[in-house]
Amino acid sequence: MVNLEYILFTCVTAPLVLMYLMLPGRAKLVMGYMIIGIIACLFVSELNALLLPLFADDLVYMTSVITPITEEIIKALPILFYAKVYSDKRDTVLLIAFALGIGFGMFENAVILIQNISSVTITWAVIRGFATALMHGICTLSVGFGISFINKRKKLFYTGVFALLTFAAIYHGIFNMLQMDYKYIGACIPIATYIPIVLLQIKSFRQKQVMGKKS
Amino acid sequence: MKIYLIANIITCIGALAGFIYGAVRFFRPRTAVYAQMITFAVGCMAFGRLYQMIRILTVGDFANRFHLGVLGVIGSLMFFFSANFGLMDGIADDGSKEFRKYRIIPLSVSVLTGVCYVLFFLFAGQPILVKIASLFISLLIVLASYYNLKHLIFPDVEYGVIRSLKAYNLLALIFELLCLMEMITVSREQAVGTLIIGILMGLILPAVIISVERGIRKWSI
Repeated sequence: MVNLEYILFTCVTAPLVLMYLMLPGRAKLVMGYMIIGIIACLFVSELNALLLPLFADDLVYMTSVITPITEEIIKALPILFYAKVYSDKRDTVLLIAFALGIGFGMFENAVILIQNISSVTITWAVIRGFATALMHGICTLSVGFGISFINKRKKLFYTGVFALLTFAAIYHGIFNMLQMDYKYIGACIPIATYIPIVLLQIKSFRQKQVMGKKS
Repeated sequence: MKIYLIANIITCIGALAGFIYGAVRFFRPRTAVYAQMITFAVGCMAFGRLYQMIRILTVGDFANRFHLGVLGVIGSLMFFFSANFGLMDGIADDGSKEFRKYRIIPLSVSVLTGVCYVLFFLFAGQPILVKIASLFISLLIVLASYYNLKHLIFPDVEYGVIRSLKAYNLLALIFELLCLMEMITVSREQAVGTLIIGILMGLILPAVIISVERGIRKWSI
């Protein structure tokens, strides 16, 4: 079927947009950036389709080298916009960065599902759900961390953001390559990265609670 | 391909050891941002090499094709350059005429890098993506090595901040020249040369962190 990605996009985003209009403050921001993540995924899929013939239709080369770069750059742009125009508060930037990455990963999973509907299994779903979507979230989160310095340490900002984009692209590339021959090792990487991040978040949340009680 | 893999493993282990040591020593409150930037430079190298290792193990191709491992070198050189240019240069060089020769001598490394790029990449029939990536790396080697050599020879008489980092600047300069040589050996598929450079990089990268630690320790004495 032609334009299946656009049909899926409409089905997924329409209810989310309707819900977005009813949400209050911070929840609205998170939902908004999830929707932007979905739009970014659709845009990148078209961009990658345009780039594929330039690399002799070599899908392995595309997924291990080119798509990590295009996807990480496109995902970083809306966060950069938010940090520059609205607020560079680290908590908020990290939150929207993660929401955008997860939105991107969710829609990518859905697109791959409809493209391979006859061959998908529950193992595939577990790997895509817990690893690929999470990987997108972590990559965008790391770039968001660098972007949060936009107005604070300008000398470090440019190199810092470039280095974190590099980190995200390499992390993404490593994950994609491991998906070819070492699927299960590849699936463990995002989870192994996610657990320390969550533990750090919990620690910082508790510290804030203690500070709040003291004051 | 096995030799390339060994070279990458050695560099990755050295860089990773340096990065972990630097992260433990420098990522504390009230530690010099300069040291943190050098740690990130070594970290970029470690991560780039990790990608190259996995690429050799899974896809198999490595030489004469653009890949993400190159970004690790670019990120590393960017940090080496911006640490010296952004944080150190203004402290020592006030722009006066008496230091003119110390600004001209470092251009020699930049010229050498430019000549190497023209000879081994621009007119050597390399694929376009390799030409672009090696141009980026060459430009960053030009910038980073200029400031490393400048700070190595600069008579820092007033504060002694740069004088205490001479060992670091020498090691960083050697690393940048090794990056240039590695680019050439990989493009010419000289596996033994790449292995020797990989071993040297694996030794120099942790030494860079140790020399920075020793240098910044003198700041507070």
